[in-house]
Amino acid sequence: MTDGDYDYLIKLLALGDSGVGKTTFLYRYTDNKFNPKFITTVGIDFREKRVVYTTNSPNGTTGKTFKVHLQLWDTAGQERFRSLTTAFFRDAMGFLLMFDLTSQQSFLNVRNWMSQLQANAYCENPDIVLVGNKADLADQREVQEKQAKELADKYGIPYFETSAATGAEVDKAVVTLLDLVMKRMEQCVDKPAPEAQNGEGTSKLDAAPAAEKKCAC
Amino acid sequence: MNVRETMHGYSMDLSLLQALEREKVLEVLQRDKALRTIEEERIRKLKSELQEIRRKGAKSFACQYSERTCARCQRPLGKFWNCGAVCRGCSHRICSKCRVSLSAHNWTCTVCHAYREVKFKSGEWFLEVRAKKFPRNSEVCENTGERLLQTYRRLSHISVVPPTPPPCYDGPSSSVFDRTGGLKSSKPFTKSMENLMVSVTSHIKKISRSQNDLRTEQVLLTVDDGRRSRKSQSDTALNISSGLKKVPSLPSLLRKPESEGQQDGGLCADDEASLQSGYSSDKRWSSSSTGTEPEMFDNVRFSGEINLAVCYSSSASCLEIQISSCRNLTSGDFKKTKCHPYVKLYILPEKSVYGKMKTSIKKNTTEPVYNQVFQCSIERNVLVSSTLQVSVWHVGTLKKKVFLGETLIPLAPWALEDCASQGAAWYSLGPKLEVPVKPAVVSEELLISVRFTSLSQPSWAYRCTDDICIGVCDAGVLSVLVKGIQNQPASRSNPSLNTYIRG
Repeated sequence: MTDGDYDYLIKLLALGDSGVGKTTFLYRYTDNKFNPKFITTVGIDFREKRVVYTTNSPNGTTGKTFKVHLQLWDTAGQERFRSLTTAFFRDAMGFLLMFDLTSQQSFLNVRNWMSQLQANAYCENPDIVLVGNKADLADQREVQEKQAKELADKYGIPYFETSAATGAEVDKAVVTLLDLVMKRMEQCVDKPAPEAQNGEGTSKLDAAPAAEKKCAC
Repeated sequence: MNVRETMHGYSMDLSLLQALEREKVLEVLQRDKALRTIEEERIRKLKSELQEIRRKGAKSFACQYSERTCARCQRPLGKFWNCGAVCRGCSHRICSKCRVSLSAHNWTCTVCHAYREVKFKSGEWFLEVRAKKFPRNSEVCENTGERLLQTYRRLSHISVVPPTPPPCYDGPSSSVFDRTGGLKSSKPFTKSMENLMVSVTSHIKKISRSQNDLRTEQVLLTVDDGRRSRKSQSDTALNISSGLKKVPSLPSLLRKPESEGQQDGGLCADDEASLQSGYSSDKRWSSSSTGTEPEMFDNVRFSGEINLAVCYSSSASCLEIQISSCRNLTSGDFKKTKCHPYVKLYILPEKSVYGKMKTSIKKNTTEPVYNQVFQCSIERNVLVSSTLQVSVWHVGTLKKKVFLGETLIPLAPWALEDCASQGAAWYSLGPKLEVPVKPAVVSEELLISVRFTSLSQPSWAYRCTDDICIGVCDAGVLSVLVKGIQNQPASRSNPSLNTYIRG
């Protein structure tokens, strides 16, 4: 199925409490299907999808298109797999932090997941999208949109209310995250450039003391 | 079994998962690995393309370029018109054609752009950022999945080893009888073997006495004659026997080994026995014959030769022994004059370490051809102090084994030079560790025994303090090869011990 004919391999990871719908969310995104059965994920899993990404240049003139291969990691929400799943946080470029709109507890745990991310992700402030799933179950809703939006604003991350059952907002959430990651990518490469006019050597030197600082802490 | 891989603050643990779960996770990891393989190939291509662009668009040191040329296409630049501009990435002056615009006012040269693209597309940006947070991790293993897979490989390797030792030990005790008898019979057997090993020390005198009744008469007359008469069947022995007359000058022989002794191989019961018995009698029996009853030896005359080649590769630390054939073997069964010989190999003194090597059994022949190669991994420093014990056995009715002869080959020569005596050679078979030339010299705690392994063989010296075998080294009798080796171990001789011996 997979070949090397793509421009970017972007690794995203879904995390959140057990049963919030990470697997069905990703299944909806990749296959556009819904499986109402609850099958708990064993440790980790991943799905793949090839998408076309179009850059929006700042002035809006040129929009280049790229083939992006998405590797969407699905993690087990269960506590007993925690050590395994958190180890995979390190390899992901963006995160779908999910909670269940019908479960207050899963929303409260978002805070814990955020700290898990800060500790284990590739950087202190990775790209995250907050996703409240099961939006179709309006009558069972426990988490209000306002509440969730406030939390997302506090962290400075986008918030989406999705439904894997209906497919609402699912694509949008993932595409937003992908967009964030792609922007981050450009930032990471272009930002140090002015500091390192003379090329690679200086930028590496800059990086080294910063790393040492963190080590000492 | 709980193997925990703790790495940089968090632990990953596949061992805690149930078998089915682990299988599932591993399947995912394998899928991930497949994806990564494709990705790596893609990145490799990207980078080689980048190299190509760089090569094309680089000023070569061989030519002189004026200030006013484009760094990429080497076209001359004008002073006012088409004067080029400095690239922000590489600080080179670039003509307008070799630029890639990023935005309205932002551009880089083609090479810098290619660099930038590769950084994006290969995910290098991500690794760089991550390296800032996990500085040590990045180089060791970049991917969690890969690390887990590696961990699991180690894990599975461990779990392959059964928690309890296997019932059948592949040590010296695993004879034909053990294999058939299983655990229950093998245990007593091992025990009895141990007992035998120990008791040999005390009983060896009796055994050797009874054995040597016949010979001692001869030996009493002259040592040399006794040997020659028994060895006369082997042609090599004939050549050598004349030279053996020098042997009785024991002090000289003794001095050699004492200055040569250097290795501190552990003294096994075998050696201890030999030393004590060697002291009391001229003949000595090795306890390595524990597989068979000593009485068997009475009936068997030892004759015949074995052709074998030894080769040691120091780079691989591998000893290779090729057993080619035997000739003039004594028939194991006198009544029927039948002989079903096989060859058994041990590396002494640590029998158990390298285990037993056996050839196949050849039926009804006194001239069996085996052409079997055995390999064992052995360190050079161990090899110096090791001996290859080659014994030939007859498998009689009811798997009764009859000892047909043995030769001891000191392995030190092969440790010294790789190519020494690589070719096959004939070794004559004698009785169990025959004829110690000189009984041991005892001075307080020091016990020394010098003996010949076989007439055609270099003599073999043991040197002991307390219970530790200090030195196992060759003292050449006749062979030129052995003479050459003498000097070697001498370099590490212990002078203080020499004085003991002399005193």
